[in-house]
Amino acid sequence: MVVYVNQLYVSMRSPWRLRDYVFAAFMTIGMVIAVFIVGPFAPPGLQLLFWAPLGGIFLTLGMARLQRRGSVALMILPLAVLLGLISPIITLYLGLTVFITELVMFFLGNYRRKINRLWGNILFFASANLGGILLAAYLIKTSKGEPFVKIVTQPAVLILLTVLAGVAGVVGWWLGELAIKQLQRAGKMDVDI
Amino acid sequence: MRKRGFLTQINPLLKIIVCIASVGLAVVLHDIRAISVLAITLLALLFICVRINLRIFASLAIALVVFMTVSAWLRGFHTSFVSTLRLIAILLPTPLLAGTTSPFHLLKAIQAARLPSFIVLSLMLMWRFLPIIQQEAQRIVEANWLRGVNIANQPQQWFSGLLMPLIFRIVAYADDVTVGLETRGYDPQAGRSNSQPLQWQSKDTIFAISAVAIAAVAGYLEWVV
Repeated sequence: MVVYVNQLYVSMRSPWRLRDYVFAAFMTIGMVIAVFIVGPFAPPGLQLLFWAPLGGIFLTLGMARLQRRGSVALMILPLAVLLGLISPIITLYLGLTVFITELVMFFLGNYRRKINRLWGNILFFASANLGGILLAAYLIKTSKGEPFVKIVTQPAVLILLTVLAGVAGVVGWWLGELAIKQLQRAGKMDVDI
Repeated sequence: MRKRGFLTQINPLLKIIVCIASVGLAVVLHDIRAISVLAITLLALLFICVRINLRIFASLAIALVVFMTVSAWLRGFHTSFVSTLRLIAILLPTPLLAGTTSPFHLLKAIQAARLPSFIVLSLMLMWRFLPIIQQEAQRIVEANWLRGVNIANQPQQWFSGLLMPLIFRIVAYADDVTVGLETRGYDPQAGRSNSQPLQWQSKDTIFAISAVAIAAVAGYLEWVV
């Protein structure tokens, strides 16, 4: 009884367990590896669109295993802190993206359902693209920021890129769900679908 | 890459703070003299404190020269020179930090920074397992070569040939690490003890004062002169 009450207290204190933290960290590693895989093939400025289908796989896997609201934050925030050593703008950008995704998902529900995982992916990659371009346009004052300023002044291009990022997120979700099925068949992932 | 120098002995948390401040300063500076002070200081520290791989250094130098030439052709020499100096000042602090800080000291700094426990645990795991998972990915690519599949030229094979096996390995690693940590009674919420806690030394004071002085000189050249 005492053990049960203690476990209940621990679960009330934090909804996350050690296995969730570890799984989220490994999914983050998967996303970083995906950057290395697509890096040489992605043209400058379109890295996110090329990364989203592969990064989305790990994001979907993490959502499916962790299931609760805040799963995206658990996977992305450590990465944001680490990349802050390269530039604090990256931390700000990833933090904003996570905030938007989790804020919308707070009202939609948790990641237990496939459709919510799809929305999570679309929101994350579309907001990452939009936020990235806007932050680059307003914060980078050198000549490197000029292409982003041009995109911001052309709303049609901005919308097109955001929609494309959302579509790339859908591809990532679809591949992620395929991976979940394979893991379930192998008895490696115990999730509700 | 690392060699025992002055910067190696500095408090890693202080180095992280100076690194972030330096990148932030490089972004806001526009005066050529101010940004030169920052870039030259960082370059000097790199040459003094880090053992440089000449091949990597030469390729980076060539890339910078190409960048400078192209931007000078497009935007004029002055803008190009300032952009190159800014690029150096933005790019150098992180390799300087990585080259003068061991993973053990970096982890101590992250723990001392009192970040949320899940971020500390995630950073520790990422730092430890990213190279291992990278090696796993490389092994999978080589296994594909043995089967006559060159993954780099066949993106249609990425999912089934590279990512699925990699996902299985990552999930297996995550489960193994979880079991390992649970059997050792690891609690991410509990406070961590440290046999060698970070301590402030006189060298840290000298480094902090020097960093503030350099930032003050750059700021004076940018906003006062």
